Amino acid sequence: MSELVRPVVWIHADCLSPQHPALLAYPGAPALFVWDEALLSSLRISLKRIVFLYECLLELPVSIRRGDVAAEVLAFASEQQADGVVTSASPSPRFAAISAQIAAQRPLRVLPVEPFVQIEQRLDLARFARYWRAVEARALNTFPEDTV
Amino acid sequence: MPKDMRRDFADRAELVAYLAAEFPAAAAESAAVSATRGGRRAAEALLTAIQPARYASTRNFLDGAVTRLSAYLRHGVLSLAEVRRAALRAATRPAEAAKLISELAWRDYWQRVYAVIGDGIWEDREPYKTGLEAAAYAQELPADIAAGTTGLACIDAFSRELVDSGYMHNHARMWLAAYVVHWRRVAWQAGARWFLTHLLDGDPASNNLSWQWVASTFSHKPYVFNRENLERYSGGIYCRACPLRLQCPFDKSYEALQAELFPGGPPAATPPRRRQ
Repeated sequence: MSELVRPVVWIHADCLSPQHPALLAYPGAPALFVWDEALLSSLRISLKRIVFLYECLLELPVSIRRGDVAAEVLAFASEQQADGVVTSASPSPRFAAISAQIAAQRPLRVLPVEPFVQIEQRLDLARFARYWRAVEARALNTFPEDTV
Repeated sequence: MPKDMRRDFADRAELVAYLAAEFPAAAAESAAVSATRGGRRAAEALLTAIQPARYASTRNFLDGAVTRLSAYLRHGVLSLAEVRRAALRAATRPAEAAKLISELAWRDYWQRVYAVIGDGIWEDREPYKTGLEAAAYAQELPADIAAGTTGLACIDAFSRELVDSGYMHNHARMWLAAYVVHWRRVAWQAGARWFLTHLLDGDPASNNLSWQWVASTFSHKPYVFNRENLERYSGGIYCRACPLRLQCPFDKSYEALQAELFPGGPPAATPPRRRQ
């Protein structure tokens, strides 16, 4: 995919950091957060969770809207005459579905967030203990090749 | 032209009033607001205060040196990598930070499982190892648990703390979840939905898979506790004034609890492992 020159940033609730990879990669790019109306009604989250998230958003350079997430992000990209959308990765299936809707209309670039540990091997996820045995030395910076 | 939501507020009260009007369904679930503030500044203040060595020795106690970073991690205000580095910096040697970092690893692990199974986090990963079929568990959370009116001082306090503050100590979550699933025979999904409504750190993967760990649908055996365990790690603050202290359903040996809760279930439990 060709490099985006003037994208908009789609901020979602799995990465509300000022160090968001898309905000760092595209400083000054217009950014948008959308309250997912369908998710709000199915998850039935209480007001305190919304207040907490809103306080996180108020520390970010982001416009805040509500509705259908993909439609709002695409409308925002059109308003800003953007050449694409940049966001951060998430394991959630809803993120995958919304991303697919956006990518069907506009170039979408998904940036990784910094991983907990750098692991190249395939991990056995059947139980935590097996996973931890594989990552422990890296996580504690005691892996022989690592420097602290 | 779509209308942006407001960003200018004189104070928190004005923000809360605006959000309660904008999201009436959320306010109807519970209009309580947590003392915990969102945002990077609040997160960094907590991050500078972490004490990895004290965390390792006291985290199972309700008044232990836990970090309270979970809501910020859940929403990516802080990354696991940042907190891992901060823990190593705050420790005199890596081993001192090992316990805190292994707890961070639980979140990484749940997220990795989520990436593989997606909405499968809502389904039993494995059968219950309680000797009971999934159908034996009620689908709805009993009203007295949600309202904090069971009469059990500990359980009611945990329920109110969840609803009022959106935060619970991990050990309290485990006790409450075990009570819901094993003492009341309620499907873990009902409890998981309740937690997600209220927990500021409510993450579908960490939350649901931890409930499954307690239930035994994602572990080798059910998690249970007894009064001695709860009394010790809570400093006895609930039991002392509990109206049911003489009829406590938790005041038994693990062997007796095993026989009562899981008749026909797996062999008598050894003292319980802990998720933490």
